[in-house]
Amino acid sequence: MPPIYLVVYFSLMYVYLYDDYLKQKKYDVTMKAIETRLTDFGIAGKIIRLQQFTNAHAVVEEEISKGATTVVIVGNDRTFGQVLSRAATCRTLFAFLPVGPENSIAEVLGIPEGVAACDVLSKRRKVRLDVGWVNNRYFISQLHIFPHNISVEYDERFSVSAKNKKMELVVCNLQPFVWEGKGKKNYIIHPQDGKLEAFLRPLEKKGLFKAQYETPSIFPFEEMVVSSATPFIMEADGKKTKELKVMIRLAKNRVEMVVGKMRRF
Amino acid sequence: MFQKPVADSYDSSMNEYAHDEVETVVGPSVQVEGDFASEGNIIVKGTVSGSVKTSKLLSVEGGAKILANVKANEAIVAGQVKGNVRVTNRLELTETAQILGDVSCAVLVVAGGALIHGKLVMKGIEIQDLKPTKKRGLSRLKQSKSIEDDEEEEMGEQAE
Repeated sequence: MPPIYLVVYFSLMYVYLYDDYLKQKKYDVTMKAIETRLTDFGIAGKIIRLQQFTNAHAVVEEEISKGATTVVIVGNDRTFGQVLSRAATCRTLFAFLPVGPENSIAEVLGIPEGVAACDVLSKRRKVRLDVGWVNNRYFISQLHIFPHNISVEYDERFSVSAKNKKMELVVCNLQPFVWEGKGKKNYIIHPQDGKLEAFLRPLEKKGLFKAQYETPSIFPFEEMVVSSATPFIMEADGKKTKELKVMIRLAKNRVEMVVGKMRRF
Repeated sequence: MFQKPVADSYDSSMNEYAHDEVETVVGPSVQVEGDFASEGNIIVKGTVSGSVKTSKLLSVEGGAKILANVKANEAIVAGQVKGNVRVTNRLELTETAQILGDVSCAVLVVAGGALIHGKLVMKGIEIQDLKPTKKRGLSRLKQSKSIEDDEEEEMGEQAE
């Protein structure tokens, strides 16, 4: 009797989460080209269109239970933050296909915009990334606290305050912080350095059209507590909330992500 | 055909350029209180009180104030420091620098106009002849003995 060989194929199942704005006619050509390229590579998969109130975590969990191995976010920085702030708890591989404007995170991850991103996706170069954790939710790109009388305590060791002035706080993870002051300087944040970077800017004076800020202070940290006597507005990954006390922490190597060779870390 | 792909080398060089190391910066009107420690470079433009520690370069800019003991690998001071300064390698004081406290370092560069009020200790002195100090000690002992003798004599005369 001839030997029987059992061949098992492990297929990688891809799920694509499309942002709502990609329905616009101007993206038709790009989306068609991307879909064709993905089919050529044999990595085409199920397409889910995100709506404004879609719970990304529930969608991703459901797809993982159905056998999805790679979840690809298709859109811009806002889409990336919207999905990963909820779905970072899901144990799966994430990837990103940037389409359209406002794609600064893709640049840091070394993923080119449009069809060229399919090549990066097909290579599956995996890297674990640090993620920020703020009041029971994750933030991927940036956290912003608008100018307010806040006091900041870092790693339970030292506190920072401005002399009778309101301060603006920006905590960067993947999205670079751009300070448009004397000599516009871009700070590129290393998402795997085991630290988050906080940029503190005391408000010098509020003009009629534009507020003037002082030179920013920069503090790399692992844990930070921001508190105030009155509620302050906080924006994390594009979502605004009012808070009195906020604890910001670093979740090391939380998200596994497909990145490009030209990544900035 | 068998050459290494050029893209590899390009990639590594790109990473070197792209990785912009973020330093710790204390802004001009910012006040820091507590144990301020960093593994990277620290630039102080504001006020720091407590203690400052870094394994790399500490730069205290003009107008900045540190009311703390300082430990660093290297330091450039142009502002005011009230506390002991311990630098492992090179300490540079510019014209506007003011230090009120003890200083220890391996290499010291001082510009004209810099002010230090405190003890300065530098490692690496290889002066082997330590006898004069002993002699001084003996002479001091002798002197003190002679003073004591004189005092005793005076006391004796007074008693008489």
